[in-house]
Amino acid sequence: MDFDETYILLLLSDSNLPTGSFVASSGLESYATHGFLSPQDQNASKDKLLLDFIRDSISAYGHSALPFVSDAYRVTTQVAGDTTHSQNDFVIRNLTALDELYDTMTLNHVARRASRSQGVALLTLFTKGFSKPREASKQSPPESTPSLEEQKHAAFTKLIEKFKTSVRREDTHGHLPVCWGVLTAALGLSLERSQFLHLFLHARGLLSAAVRMNTLGPYAAQQLLLHSIRPLVTTEASKCADLRTGLRLVEDEPDQGLDPFDEDVLDTNGPAMTWPLGEILASRHDLQHSRVFNS
Amino acid sequence: MQRVGAGIGRIHLQCHGHDTVFSELSYSYPLKLLSPRVTTPGVGVVYVLTYGGGLVGGDRVNLGVEVEEGARLVMLTQGSTKVFKSRPGQTRFARPQGITPAQGDTITSQSLDVTISPNGALFLLPDPVTCFRAARYSQKQIFRLASKSSSAVLLDWITSGRISLGEQWVFERYWSLNEVWVDGKRVARDVMLLEEEKEPLQSSLADGDPSQTDSHPRSAATPTPSTSQSPLVPKRTLAERLTPYSCYATVLIYGPLTHETIRYLSSQFEATTLFKANKRPDLIWSLTLICNGEGCILRVAAKETEQVRHWLGAALHLLEGVVGVDIFRKTFS
Repeated sequence: MDFDETYILLLLSDSNLPTGSFVASSGLESYATHGFLSPQDQNASKDKLLLDFIRDSISAYGHSALPFVSDAYRVTTQVAGDTTHSQNDFVIRNLTALDELYDTMTLNHVARRASRSQGVALLTLFTKGFSKPREASKQSPPESTPSLEEQKHAAFTKLIEKFKTSVRREDTHGHLPVCWGVLTAALGLSLERSQFLHLFLHARGLLSAAVRMNTLGPYAAQQLLLHSIRPLVTTEASKCADLRTGLRLVEDEPDQGLDPFDEDVLDTNGPAMTWPLGEILASRHDLQHSRVFNS
Repeated sequence: MQRVGAGIGRIHLQCHGHDTVFSELSYSYPLKLLSPRVTTPGVGVVYVLTYGGGLVGGDRVNLGVEVEEGARLVMLTQGSTKVFKSRPGQTRFARPQGITPAQGDTITSQSLDVTISPNGALFLLPDPVTCFRAARYSQKQIFRLASKSSSAVLLDWITSGRISLGEQWVFERYWSLNEVWVDGKRVARDVMLLEEEKEPLQSSLADGDPSQTDSHPRSAATPTPSTSQSPLVPKRTLAERLTPYSCYATVLIYGPLTHETIRYLSSQFEATTLFKANKRPDLIWSLTLICNGEGCILRVAAKETEQVRHWLGAALHLLEGVVGVDIFRKTFS
C-alpha cells in the first residue's frame, strides 16, 4: 500500500465525512425495539447480543452489497483508459444496469431509502469535496498540457457529475454500494481495500448507532472495533470478495431483448439475501412509535 | 401428450369463456401432476407432487408453465416438500432414460418457469419446504408476466427441519430464487441463501463449498488480507442467526387481481405501532411495496409453521373470491 492510498484511506475513514450515515442504524434500532437486544436467558448478555447483530448484519450486507461494489468499481476503472465522452455514456449505462439490479434485489423499502440517500451523498462528496479546487488548477500555466493524472481526475470528475445528474433526474437510483464502487475507483483505491473499507464502515456505523442508542459506551465501542469486529470484517470481506453480478460490459447500444447480466454467474456467484430475520426487522423500522434513526 | 424427460413437467392452461382447459398436463418420474375438478369459473388447479412425498440428493424437477389469457392457475402441493439428506455419489431413485446427475453433485433442485399472458394469473400456494439434516437444496422460480394486466401471488416458505427429531436449521444449504418480470423488465429478484458455516470459520478461506470453489476459483491475483494476525472466528450457526423462529415465508404479489389484497395489507401494516419490548414477538411480518404499489413483497416469520399458515390465511383472505373459497380454505387451514 503506497502513501497515496494510505492518505485516501485516512480521508475516507473520517467519521466526519458528510455521508449521512449518522442517521442510519441499518436495522439495529428496530432490532432493539423488538426485544432482540434483551437477554432471554442467563447465558446471554446485552453486549453479546449486540455483537451477534453486528456479525449477522456484516455478513448479510457483504453478501448483498459487495458484488455491486466490485462490479461498479470494475466498470468505473474503464474510464481511466479512455477519457472520451462516449466512454462516459458506456460507463453510465453499465452503472445504471447495476443500480437497477440492486434496486430489484433490495426488497425492503427502508434499506432502499437509506441506500439511496447515502449513495447520492457519496457522489456529492466527490464533486464538492474531492474534486480539485479551481484555485489549484489555475496555478499551472495555461499553455502546459495536463499530466496523465490530471486527465484521469478530470475524466472521473466528469463521470461522477454525469452520474449524479442522472440520479437527480431519477434516471437511476444512486444506491450506496454502486456509488461506493464508483467513488473508490475514481480515487484510485485498490478493489480489495474498497471492499474491506466498505464493510468496515458498515460495522463502524452500527457501533456508532449503538453508542447513540446508549446500548454501548464509547470506550466499549472502540474496544469491540479493535478486537471483535476486525476478524468479522476480514472474514466477510474475504468471503464475499469474489462475488459478482455477472454484468457483461456492453459496448454498443444495449440490445433490448438481452439482459446485461450473465445468468449463470448471477445465480451461482451472485448477491443474495442471507438473513431473513434481519430483513424483516429492518423493514419494520418505520412502525416504531419513537425512533432516533432513519433506517 | 408428448413424452418428456425425467423429472420434467409441463402445464398449459387455457380459458374459454368460463371454462378452463389444460391443453397440456404432462410429467415424468419422480414428478406427478394432478388436476382435481373445480367449480370456480376461470380457475384451474394443479397439485404438484413427488413420489414418496420428498426429494433426495440429486433429484431434479423442472416444470414449465403457461397460463393463457384470462385463465387463473392455482398450484398447490399436498404436504411439505421434504428434502432428504445429500449422500455424495448416490441417489435414491434409479433414473429412467439414463439421466444421471453429474458425479458428486448432490444438490437437490427444483426449477419452475412460468409465462403468464395478459389478464392471466398464477397463484402458487405450496406447503413449505422442509430441508432435513445435511440436505442441500436449490430452487429457481422465474415468473414472466406479459403485461401489467397479469397477476401473480407467489408463496415460498421454509421450515427449520423435522422438529420432532430436534432438527432446527441443520441442513447444509438452501438457495431459493424468485424472479418476477413484467413486460420484459425484471421488477423483483428475491434470492434467499441460508447456508451453514464451515467449522471452524477461518478467515483466510473462501467459502468452503467445493462446487463453488471449483467453478469460481479465487483469482490468484487477488491478494488475501493479512489474516494471519486475525484469530479464528467462533462458528455462528444458521440456527443462531434465525432463532427464535422456525418458519420463514416470502410472498411476492403483483397485478390487478391482487390490488385489494395489497391495499388491505398496506393498511394493516401502517396501522401497526411498535413500542419497546423485552420479549421477542411470536410472529413478525413486513411489507414493502414495489412497482409504485402494483406489487408488494410480504415476509413473515414465526415460531411455528402453523402460526404462519394461519396468519397467511387471514392476510390473503381477499383472494378467496379470486381463486374460490373451497380451494383457498383448504390451502390455509
